Amino acid sequence: MGETRLKRELGLLQATMMGIGGAICAGVFVTLGYAATLAGTALIIAMALCGIINLFTMLSYAELGAAIPSAGGEYTFAKASFGGFLAFATGWFEWISNMFYASFCAVGFAYLVSYAAQAANLPIALNVPVVAVITVAVFTIINIKGIKETGGTETALVIVLLALLCIFTIWGLFGGQGTSNMELSAPGGFFGVLRAAAFIFVVYLGGEAIAVAQAEIKDPGKTIPRAILLSCLSLIIIYTIIAYVVLRVPLGDWAGKESPLASVAERFMGPLGVGIITVAGSIAALSSVNTSIMAQSRVAYALARDGYFPKSFFSLHKRFCTPYIATLVGSIFVAATAATGVVNFVAYATDFGFIIGFIFVNLSLIKLRRDKPNLYRPFKVPIYPLTPILGISTSLMLLFFLEPSTLFIGAELFIFGLIAYYTRMIGHYRSCLAAGGMNLGISAFSALLAYLIISASLPIPLSQNMILLIFGVAVFISIIYLIAFLLNITRKEGE
Amino acid sequence: MTKIRRLISRFIGGTQCVLGALASVFAFLVYISLSTRETIAITSEAEVYLYMFLSLVFGVFSILSGLFLLREAK
Repeated sequence: MGETRLKRELGLLQATMMGIGGAICAGVFVTLGYAATLAGTALIIAMALCGIINLFTMLSYAELGAAIPSAGGEYTFAKASFGGFLAFATGWFEWISNMFYASFCAVGFAYLVSYAAQAANLPIALNVPVVAVITVAVFTIINIKGIKETGGTETALVIVLLALLCIFTIWGLFGGQGTSNMELSAPGGFFGVLRAAAFIFVVYLGGEAIAVAQAEIKDPGKTIPRAILLSCLSLIIIYTIIAYVVLRVPLGDWAGKESPLASVAERFMGPLGVGIITVAGSIAALSSVNTSIMAQSRVAYALARDGYFPKSFFSLHKRFCTPYIATLVGSIFVAATAATGVVNFVAYATDFGFIIGFIFVNLSLIKLRRDKPNLYRPFKVPIYPLTPILGISTSLMLLFFLEPSTLFIGAELFIFGLIAYYTRMIGHYRSCLAAGGMNLGISAFSALLAYLIISASLPIPLSQNMILLIFGVAVFISIIYLIAFLLNITRKEGE
Repeated sequence: MTKIRRLISRFIGGTQCVLGALASVFAFLVYISLSTRETIAITSEAEVYLYMFLSLVFGVFSILSGLFLLREAK
């Protein structure tokens, strides 16, 4: 298998930084304002609660990553335990989510740079899509160059980011500008805290990048669980301290604002604080672009390994030993969604995809414990089966709190995945028959719609011209799809 | 395959691809354009996503089905 050619070059530090950098994105810089309107000063509890929810699932990642250290993370775990469409769907959601996440972060970075250029009165006007595409191109080159370069870049970015956040928190804790008598209050009660937790959970997503790159981590049995747990605990500490610092400033000064961290930093440190938070936000976005491009390529590589994606995605660069075609194809998609603005209405889908991944990782852990009890596991989840069950139930709870738009787009991606899976797996002839059936369904639906419109049976106030237009279009679609149905079902096998 | 069937497959496949592309553009317009929403009497955000959902699923399916027919016509 070509997978043995992926080089194990990431040590504990680089893997941990990849987990931290993958998670710290723009989320923590923008979500606290709205979350505070839901949870009040109990925001700090919501933040810690999210960390604990994340920890349940990360423990599952640690056990499975150490036991099955192949590329692909969640997809590989689901493949080993369930196989078939469930494994494909997990990989599909992870692949799409990582690409949208990379695109979203690249656009976020471009906006921050453009804002900073305006604030600094630079004579040049930066074009946001162009900056986003250049950002994606740079990180694509780094990712193709090698996993060592990707890990090294990530480590450098995260160290600078943590240093900036350290300055912010130390200034906030000891600068004496805030109020020292913070009292816990939750205007929305426990339900409000839960809603806030669901809203800010996005700040913990992305840390599972370690599992995706597990085929390139040295001494995987020890390093993977350590890196996952270290990054997870570090994130809990970092975010809780940030929440505490932010809460030292009265809620009225920043709750509900679009950039609460910048508002608080301005209160503590003046314009310097805004500068520090802007630079930190930019670096956070860059580190997430880096890990997401890496993660999408490894998921696509693993999907190609098992025949779900074209074989070319499985090929490695002869010199750099990286899946360069998977990286390139995914990056083109990332750049296209960033440049056209499409990412703005699909970014929500990332939450859905990552949460689906969380559910399947926990389910895979339970299934593998039952089906393969003798599998060598260098790390085992404590208090099994309570931990994965808590991971599943808390992830389902997060799905329940997602916006309807997120669920719609998630369902849409699921349908596209289903189409891709069947087109790839059941062969051309049977796909055509399936397409024929769907053509008939659309034709019948359009004919029904045409009848309802012309007989004024629909309770929608439409002008006469609009009624005639919709009727005409529905009849046209009905005829076209009926003929398409006939053409598809009358074709001969092998044609 | 007869010449007539090939011709029909090409026409129907091409039409399906165009309809799919138009449906996808419509989904994008529903998302970005307030005037489009007013024209088709969309009143709530949930309806926006419902229209987008249906249009995109229809669009992707149409393009795929159209490509099958175009491939057959080759």
